[in-house]
Amino acid sequence: GSEVSEAQTTDSDDIVTPGPQKCPQAGSEKMRIEIVSLAFYPEAEVMCDENVKQVYVEYKFYDLPLSETETPVSLRKPRVGEEIHFHFSKVIDLDPVEQKGRRQFLFAMLNGQDPEQGHLKFTVVSDPLDEEKKECQEVGYAFLELWQILESGRDLVEQELDIVSPEDPATRIGRLKVSLQAAAALHAIYKEMTQVMFS
Amino acid sequence: MGESEEMVPSSGGVFTFGKTKFAENTPSKFWFKNDMPTVLSCGDEHSAVVTGNKKLYMFGSNNWGQLGLGSKSTVTKPTCVKALKPEKVKLAACGRNHTLVSTEGGKVYAAGGNNEGQLGLGDTQERSTFHLISFFTSQHKIKQLSAGSNTSAALTEDGELFMWGDNSEGQIGLKDISNVYVPQRVTVGKPISWISCGYYHSAFVTTEGKLYTFGEPESGKLGLPNQLLCNHRMPQPVPGIPEKVVQVACGGGHTVVLTEKAVYTFGLGQFGQLGLGTFLFETSVPTVIEHIKDQKIRSVSCGENQTALITDIGLMYTCGDGRHGKLGLGPENFTNQFTPTLCSHFLRFIVQLVACGGCHMLVFAIPRLGGTDEIELQK
Ligand SMILES: [Mg+2]
Ligand SMILES: [Mg+2]
Repeated sequence: GSEVSEAQTTDSDDIVTPGPQKCPQAGSEKMRIEIVSLAFYPEAEVMCDENVKQVYVEYKFYDLPLSETETPVSLRKPRVGEEIHFHFSKVIDLDPVEQKGRRQFLFAMLNGQDPEQGHLKFTVVSDPLDEEKKECQEVGYAFLELWQILESGRDLVEQELDIVSPEDPATRIGRLKVSLQAAAALHAIYKEMTQVMFS
Repeated sequence: MGESEEMVPSSGGVFTFGKTKFAENTPSKFWFKNDMPTVLSCGDEHSAVVTGNKKLYMFGSNNWGQLGLGSKSTVTKPTCVKALKPEKVKLAACGRNHTLVSTEGGKVYAAGGNNEGQLGLGDTQERSTFHLISFFTSQHKIKQLSAGSNTSAALTEDGELFMWGDNSEGQIGLKDISNVYVPQRVTVGKPISWISCGYYHSAFVTTEGKLYTFGEPESGKLGLPNQLLCNHRMPQPVPGIPEKVVQVACGGGHTVVLTEKAVYTFGLGQFGQLGLGTFLFETSVPTVIEHIKDQKIRSVSCGENQTALITDIGLMYTCGDGRHGKLGLGPENFTNQFTPTLCSHFLRFIVQLVACGGCHMLVFAIPRLGGTDEIELQK
């Protein structure tokens, strides 16, 4: 069609590539959270709990519905020495104009005003099989301190977090691997919010 | 996508997903003026396209000279290998870090990494331009090429299979030899109709429809019971597939088998590449993917950790490791798929070819005429 004339021709012969489709968002206007994988320790109670057959992982992020921040599948409970892999990655829009609320939510976390909100909390949930008529049950929590990223200025690549028991935060029951591309966004948010505060 | 989707000419486009090095690794596409792809192949980080005009285009990582363009720099746009232009290129196969091509005249060329002799040139010196493998003559009518981690294979119309390169795990099926630097005949006494080199294992199909596997024995990817694994250095028939096998594709740790009736998988499935659901992450037993039993599958393809299936009506399903968007299921929100998932992106296309690599996938698809009618009716 006529659109082809708008397309760019590469220097290599007869290849046509459509022109740039969309300006990519700046790194400071989005973040990416990936729930990579999880494993339970062999001695953890959950390993011998026959009620726990499959698990998923979720986190809460400001206005995002849980359906967008929970792994879309539950995977069979890992066996001893086994890791289960979700590779569930979500890009969160942090547009400075349209997503002010999300930026404030992150700033509150960074600023540690509310100790309950100083971290991103991941919840490991036991998902009963369809044929069982049981409720989902939280089997562990993992916490990610966002200020660490701000301080180091580095994204997290497959960071291992302790999973602790819901009954006893001192009991470690396994490891959750997460990745976070957020350093640029957190830096920008912190800068912009502290400027606002002191101006 | 909307508008840009309609831009694809009726002769179709090549769609890129994951870490292709093209379009800054974002999902993108390109097409040819007055030409169409006939072969797609993906290595670990590089890609090859052969066209109807018998030209070879290469792009991607090039650390070993595997693009055959005379340099070792990454190439971000499909680039014609001009040195082969007089040759009429027919087939191409990308291994982890090398490339094989064959021509209408029956010549076979190789470029790239050669540390295990995978270029078939009698030595272990890497090459950044395509070099002729003098072993092959016009008598060898090459029907299929395949390349693995450091392995190479060429199958002839007569059903003769030749392999060369790394045999440390028996992955070129020559029982007592370690590596071979020139092509060697691999035979089970019956003509062979299909070959696939995985990362460290290989598989072929005989014209009778029997599947054979060989190479690294771990994690069930040979589909053999334990007592047969001691002979993993030679091709052995895989039990448990009653009907005729048509195709096989080997990935990093898994194997996908297309029969006249179904798709079977075995090996490692920790990311979902077996397509067998969320409870089975490893098996040595060939297992039917029930999830797509209603679909008639025409071709199967494996990357290191992913699987792609094309149906007889040109729809595509993918499963496995979703990182970098290589499953073609969306631009930003990636996740592993544990059952074959329909790529809705291609509902308005007829998928012709697919190739999966380490962290990327190429798809050649032409617009579905019915789809266009539908759009016009809605106006
Ligand atoms: Mg759910
Ligand atoms: Mg992106």
